[in-house]
Amino acid sequence: MRKKECVAMLLAGGQGSRLYVLTTDVAKPAVPFGGKFRIIDFPLSNCANSNIDTVGVLTQYQPHALNAYIGSGLPWDLDRLEGGVRVLPPYVKSKGGTWYKGTANAIYQNIGFIETYDPEYVLILSGDHIYKMDYRKMIAQHKKTEADCTIAVIEVPPSEASRFGIMNTRDDGSIVSFEEKPKKPQSNLASMGVYVFSWKKLRAYLLADEANPASKNDFGGNIIPAMLAAGEKLFSHRFKGYWKDVGTIDSLWEANMDLLAGGQLNIFDPAWRIYARSTGTPPHFVGPAARVSHSLVTEGCEVYGSVENSVIFTGGTVKAGARVKYSIVMPGAVIGEDAVVEYAIIAEDAVVGRGARVGADPSAVNPKDWGVAVVGPAVHVGAGAVLLPKEMAGADVPAKEAAQ
Amino acid sequence: MNDMHGLIFAYAKGGENLKELTERRAVPSLPFGGRYRVIDFMLSNMVNAGVTDVGVVMRENYQSLLDHLESGKNWDLSRKRGGLRLLPPFSYAGSGPYEGVFLGNMAALYNISSYLSHIRQDYVVVAEGGLVANLPLEDALRRHVDTGADITVLCTPQRLGQQEFSSFLTLGGTGRISDLARGRDMDGALEMLGVYILSKPLLLSLVSHCAAHNLYDFERDVLQNMLGSLGLYGYVFEGYAARMTTVAAYFKHNMDMLRADARASLFLKDRPIKTKVRDEASAYYGPDARVQNCIVADGCYIEGDVENSILSRGVRIEPGVRVHNSVLLQDTRVSSGAILGYAITDKEVVIGPGRMLMGHATYPIAVSKGSVV
Repeated sequence: MRKKECVAMLLAGGQGSRLYVLTTDVAKPAVPFGGKFRIIDFPLSNCANSNIDTVGVLTQYQPHALNAYIGSGLPWDLDRLEGGVRVLPPYVKSKGGTWYKGTANAIYQNIGFIETYDPEYVLILSGDHIYKMDYRKMIAQHKKTEADCTIAVIEVPPSEASRFGIMNTRDDGSIVSFEEKPKKPQSNLASMGVYVFSWKKLRAYLLADEANPASKNDFGGNIIPAMLAAGEKLFSHRFKGYWKDVGTIDSLWEANMDLLAGGQLNIFDPAWRIYARSTGTPPHFVGPAARVSHSLVTEGCEVYGSVENSVIFTGGTVKAGARVKYSIVMPGAVIGEDAVVEYAIIAEDAVVGRGARVGADPSAVNPKDWGVAVVGPAVHVGAGAVLLPKEMAGADVPAKEAAQ
Repeated sequence: MNDMHGLIFAYAKGGENLKELTERRAVPSLPFGGRYRVIDFMLSNMVNAGVTDVGVVMRENYQSLLDHLESGKNWDLSRKRGGLRLLPPFSYAGSGPYEGVFLGNMAALYNISSYLSHIRQDYVVVAEGGLVANLPLEDALRRHVDTGADITVLCTPQRLGQQEFSSFLTLGGTGRISDLARGRDMDGALEMLGVYILSKPLLLSLVSHCAAHNLYDFERDVLQNMLGSLGLYGYVFEGYAARMTTVAAYFKHNMDMLRADARASLFLKDRPIKTKVRDEASAYYGPDARVQNCIVADGCYIEGDVENSILSRGVRIEPGVRVHNSVLLQDTRVSSGAILGYAITDKEVVIGPGRMLMGHATYPIAVSKGSVV
């Protein structure tokens, strides 16, 4: 195999337990996003647009949907004779073999895969962030500073800094220390979970980490602190632009809403396309009495009702008289006649029955009772049933007689 | 996987009546329904019937077609053995029975004789690339084998356009064709769809027979002349079918996509129509957009009023625009304050601010590719 300068390793094994019913049957990176994408399309498209043509995707939790989705890598132009995209599940070795114990262990277990390409650099990515980033710039900086590790960071509001892994840096961008979710943050530079390592260095630290039975085998928790303690050269790489962790129901909902607010994340840029596997459905149809405003609507949809401030994914249906506001209607979901869906996530192939109500406007309820309502994949909400804000339906909801 | 090979004639020109739209492309390469090219339907029909090898016969103006078909990967036809094979007219210039002159489809087939002789399948479906329909070709092949027909001719009870450009047939009690007429309708007749199934050996022998006798027209020289000697059977297709014969017909058939029954007949879950993927994001509707009774493709950005129209991929409608009863092909841009009615704008047309274009249902205005109005 010819040498590759950089190999990307995409951590896609996370269960995404804080997405609850949305990830019961699929891994988080396979969760639909933004009309026609899945979360993993963002890092994969970033790789394609950054000319990185060798990507290992590390999977472990519920991999079938993700494997089928990635396939040969054709949608991202990653079907290559050499390199391309490879799905890397944990496997049995002659001496044992285990599940991926942590993010660092996942890479450790695939040292053999990486060495096939004899790379100078390894780019570590995670499969649960929405952002557009040119990794070439980061790699160029890594080379220029002759760093051992470069970590992408983004400024977050100081008030929220304690939710993130925070990097404390010197003026030249070099990293002094790293604190995971600090109570009293000293800086507001959050790690984006995007790392460039010089491979020889990382390899040595992975071997040492694996030999330490006390380690949790985690990049943020073990590898980075070990490198800092040993005085290795770690630099931050400032990223300016949109970046969002979509690991929770609220953040997933918000990130979809952010697509509507102009300028936050432009998915229409022909110079930086976000690629996705095409489903081959016809253009959508908007009916004679429909009303659609400030929304994204995707191929294969049929809209007869009203849609406002919402994202309707591939093949969604909004029937006559239905009202959808500030909501996400995922692929194949159906909103029945006269149903009202507000501030909600309706998952893939779910059905909201005639006259049912899902979610509510924040102004209509006590703030402490408010939250995004969720209807799980393929769940049927019966006619006239009511799902309150914050409620989550993981199983069918029986129909109720419509209120007179 | 089945035992049928596909051949598509992709060179129909459309003539004077389609001039604005076909100056630089053949009819099979015409955009259709907001997302497709006409040839997508026949290609998908074949692939959906399990056909793995398809030859596309071209003649002139085929650059647009090459660009669209690429390697065939969008139809899963980029294969090591078989798959999509583009057949440009490399051999017309040479001498031979037709003396290098293009005369008709049998002459076109003679020119690809060596390709035909290497066909791996026992049966061949030969189709005009200008038909929009979702045909059950697997079922048609089954019927072809069951009836023991020499040639099965697909036909419809509908009328697809002016009769002078159409061909008709009548069926006897057993489904055998009793009469064939060209350019003139008959009592109780069905209209031919330009799709035929026959065996590979019969196709080869008909091609060589025609070449030897200076015959070149499949309909006249094979179907009509051999009606008595060959077993010709009809296969009646009842679903939606359309042919682009004039600008007005092109307009009307695009508008047909606003009908739920037409969409239901063309777009089936188990027989999807595939096309070249453009990787556009979902369509965006602005806060003041007002869109009713429209087909809208991905990548559109709509901030004005649109009614009874077809918006293809990447169309941009600026604020204050009013578009009604129009077909806007890909990447059309309508600038603020412009008004369009009964118009067809080809690829990458720009309608300037405040411009007004108004046609009529029977005479839609067509604006050719890349024009700036």
